[in-house]
Amino acid sequence: MQRIVVPGEKIINTPVRIENTISDKNGTYACILGYFDDERKSLIPLEGLWQPRPGDTVIGVVEEDKGTMYIININAPYKGLALSKFIDTELSSGDMVAASVKQLEKGGTVMLLRPTRLNGGKLMSVSPSRVPRIIGKGNSMLKQITDGTGTTIVIGLNGVIWLKGGKIDLATNAILKIVEEAHTTGLTERIKVLLSGNKVQ
Amino acid sequence: MGGSEKPELIINGKRLDGRTSDQLRDIKIEVGAVRNAVGSSYIEWGNNKILAAVYGPKEALPKHVQDPEKAIIKCRYQMSPFSSLEDHGRTGPNRRSTEISKVTKEVFQNVVLLEQFPGSEIDLYIDVLQADGGTRAAGITAAAVALAASGIPMTDIPFAVSVGKVGSELILDMNKIEDNYSDADMPVAISPRTGEMLLLQMDGNLTIEEVNRGVQMIKKAGEAISKIQRNALKVSYERILEKYKK
Repeated sequence: MQRIVVPGEKIINTPVRIENTISDKNGTYACILGYFDDERKSLIPLEGLWQPRPGDTVIGVVEEDKGTMYIININAPYKGLALSKFIDTELSSGDMVAASVKQLEKGGTVMLLRPTRLNGGKLMSVSPSRVPRIIGKGNSMLKQITDGTGTTIVIGLNGVIWLKGGKIDLATNAILKIVEEAHTTGLTERIKVLLSGNKVQ
Repeated sequence: MGGSEKPELIINGKRLDGRTSDQLRDIKIEVGAVRNAVGSSYIEWGNNKILAAVYGPKEALPKHVQDPEKAIIKCRYQMSPFSSLEDHGRTGPNRRSTEISKVTKEVFQNVVLLEQFPGSEIDLYIDVLQADGGTRAAGITAAAVALAASGIPMTDIPFAVSVGKVGSELILDMNKIEDNYSDADMPVAISPRTGEMLLLQMDGNLTIEEVNRGVQMIKKAGEAISKIQRNALKVSYERILEKYKK
């Protein structure tokens, strides 16, 4: 069974180590607003920011060309940095890029690897806590949207999504529906209905 | 405060607004009142109307305030010029709002898990639109909900409420008139999970026995306030959950 929990709420009567919780000798308590699954013993955040981890794919906008490196806005409390000597293509400010995180460095910057320019298309910004649901188990949700609309979608774990081509409005609607109903069950079915319903027209 | 003519504040065991000595005013909390904020809340506590909004965590500026170990909290409490019958004609910081901003900041430094956001800052804005006594307690209660709604990890949702003394009787949650003519006023903020006291201020004189009794009254009232805070956070998500439950 899933239930919504708030910070300070007791979720288990014994001390257990779970992400996003704290525990003392009397029990385990939630630290964030999220939904807790009793069977899987997992607490998934409903709101919140993205914390950079090595290997994460992010989408950002180039803010400044410093000559030796680019400063990239990645929609986080930290600035993204990419060294230009490892990049084949020239980037200029305003370009949309997809990159992967190398590491979070002291001083509040994120080192990025292999930024590639995304040509055309549009960006949309969602809450980073909804991104795992948009991707789905083993890319299932993302594949469903891509197959249903023919849109090319790149998802950044920082909550920025890039879409291009196909039925772009339908894909946007589907993503917005997932964002709103991320904590409910049976969402895959409802997205299927949404996608097929518009296909007939 | 208080003049030479002191009004009678308790008549036949009832207070001026008809409450008993340990009764709270009506509290209503709404989440998501400010769309641009990361988290926000609006509280109506009796005649108090307060907006609280949270921005961040973002890069702390100017750079010398950054702490490489943990995040810092910046808090700004402000009364609107039109909020009260008394003069609050100037906007901007004054002695009173600077003090309340400081104590509010210290409340949240003890519950927010600041170590998770090194070098960043969390901005907390509390704006009083209409004031009727006890705004610092109501502001802390609203700001706690706004912080939880923003998804910032914290160990608990604290609440605050004040207790005062009229004659020989202790009264809970004083309004403006009671506050002006009472003998003592003690706002307290508590973390309900552990019972830790996060704020304790006192204006006037109370005996040790009265302080203990006042804290007990506050802890009892806090159960009701905590319930309202938690419901406000859960209600919008549970509505969607309910819609698709078979």
